[in-house]
Amino acid sequence: MHKSWMKRQSRLGYLFIGPNMIGVLLFFIIPAVYSFYLMFTDYKFMSPETHFVGLDNIRRMMNDDLFGVALRNTFVFLLAVPVSMGLAFIVAVALNKSVYWQKTLRALYFMPYITSGVAIAFVWMLLFQPTSGPINGFLRGIGIANPPGWLSTTEWSMYAIDIIWIWFMLGYNMIIYLAALQEIPEELVEAARIDGARPWQTIRHVIWPLVSPTTFLLLITGLIMTIKNFGIIQAITQGGPGNSTTVLSLFIYQNAFRYYEMGYAAAISWALFAIIMIFTVLQWIGQKRWVHY
Amino acid sequence: MESLTQIRRIILTLLMSGFALLMIMPFIWMISTSFKSPADVFTYPVQWIPTNLKWEHHIKVWSGADTFATYYLNSLKISLISTIGAVFLSAFAAYGFARIQFKGRETLFLIYLSMMMVPPQVLFVPKFLMFEWVGIYNTHWALILPGMFTIFGVFMLRQFFLSVPSEISEAAFIDGAGHLRIFFRLVLPLAKPALATLAIIDFSWHWNDYENALVFLIDKDLYTVPLGLQNFILENNVDYNGMMAAATAGIIPMIIVFLVGQHYIIQGVAGSAVKG
Repeated sequence: MHKSWMKRQSRLGYLFIGPNMIGVLLFFIIPAVYSFYLMFTDYKFMSPETHFVGLDNIRRMMNDDLFGVALRNTFVFLLAVPVSMGLAFIVAVALNKSVYWQKTLRALYFMPYITSGVAIAFVWMLLFQPTSGPINGFLRGIGIANPPGWLSTTEWSMYAIDIIWIWFMLGYNMIIYLAALQEIPEELVEAARIDGARPWQTIRHVIWPLVSPTTFLLLITGLIMTIKNFGIIQAITQGGPGNSTTVLSLFIYQNAFRYYEMGYAAAISWALFAIIMIFTVLQWIGQKRWVHY
Repeated sequence: MESLTQIRRIILTLLMSGFALLMIMPFIWMISTSFKSPADVFTYPVQWIPTNLKWEHHIKVWSGADTFATYYLNSLKISLISTIGAVFLSAFAAYGFARIQFKGRETLFLIYLSMMMVPPQVLFVPKFLMFEWVGIYNTHWALILPGMFTIFGVFMLRQFFLSVPSEISEAAFIDGAGHLRIFFRLVLPLAKPALATLAIIDFSWHWNDYENALVFLIDKDLYTVPLGLQNFILENNVDYNGMMAAATAGIIPMIIVFLVGQHYIIQGVAGSAVKG
């Protein structure tokens, strides 16, 4: 009796999960396995033959100067994450209780995140225009005679992308921080105030430690989100000038769909996976710590 | 004392408003530039309100051979079908994971979660080859079909279903209802806010999705808004006013969705990250 009930439960379970599982199998699991196989081949789109090449792609990656450049650019790109979080924390603390127009202000800060896409990429392209763009116009206005060339120079292009990304992520980080701040018991902040703590001391010694699990979570998820992204960069610079904004994720796209080096692209994409895996493991370890709070 | 905090509050409000204004400055600049004449694009100090309004750039964007009307229709079709499919299929699976005991459930869920780690770049090449092989490459199906499956959605709704008290379904079980009945009659109606949240977030993803469209679509008449925008700008790369009119067209729908669904979006983003 019990056994047949279990069986019925199992059948029902698969009935519910089945439709979704088919899609996950078709569009996630099978492609992932297939890509893993491609990593060990010299598969080029439209080429007549494909050979098994073992670890050649991985070796090639290790010796590819461009891979090194892409990796370095990726790390510069990732710098945007902590900066954006720092700003977001300040905004979140300010917007948590002590201002008027809270809802409107939150919505305004969040706006860039929802309008993600190519549109904002092109707006920033013009804002950053080196000779006559408004940003450099402003910088000249405050007395900087030779403002940076931003997206048009190899030294500045990646930092220009960082600025866009900081702007883009700020609202997201702020919302998560706000959610965390609202979990903090009022009494704790009140107690610190009664003990004579100044506002910034309360922030530094009470609020900041209490939201540290959120900081950690945001850092890891932000790094993962950033490392996967290439749309904004593809739209603005296509990786240029030179290769100064070619990040790892864009490098994969270029190898696969510009040069049709699909085996090689598969290998790099698994390198990207490895990095994400490290971040995920870190998060998993951190989450255990988080439970204690 | 009371008035001192009041003053502090006002100062802080002004400060934060100033910074908020800085945040949305690119949007204001975009809209204002789309109404300027070419000569006024880069005048400095910036002319926030153009002296003579020009509508021609907006007209250009909405007329001609490749018009934004086509891109809008394509994006709307893809985003709507994907979102409806994704919400329904996720709800079904999430209920299974949250409410039914069956063999291999934990393992399966772990596989689901591990798929969230796989970067889209890993999947692009195999998906490209698969779609080519079955003949849906360069059709809207290449975006719609995978779009109907979201692991995030399953994850998010599962969290919600776990929070629905089990007494509700137990009572229904005693009355002789099965899982299907309970799902459609009890849990789904209860989950309306969660479903709406997922729908809005998912819709915004599809609407803004540039990467997949870039990889899987070639024909101009199939282009979605992000791709159409890129195309427009490549073809008119010196027409800055036109670029900004096009960018405005690309952003407006999401701003409307955001204004309508603000509460859901913010709640959903906050909830999924903090509790997830």
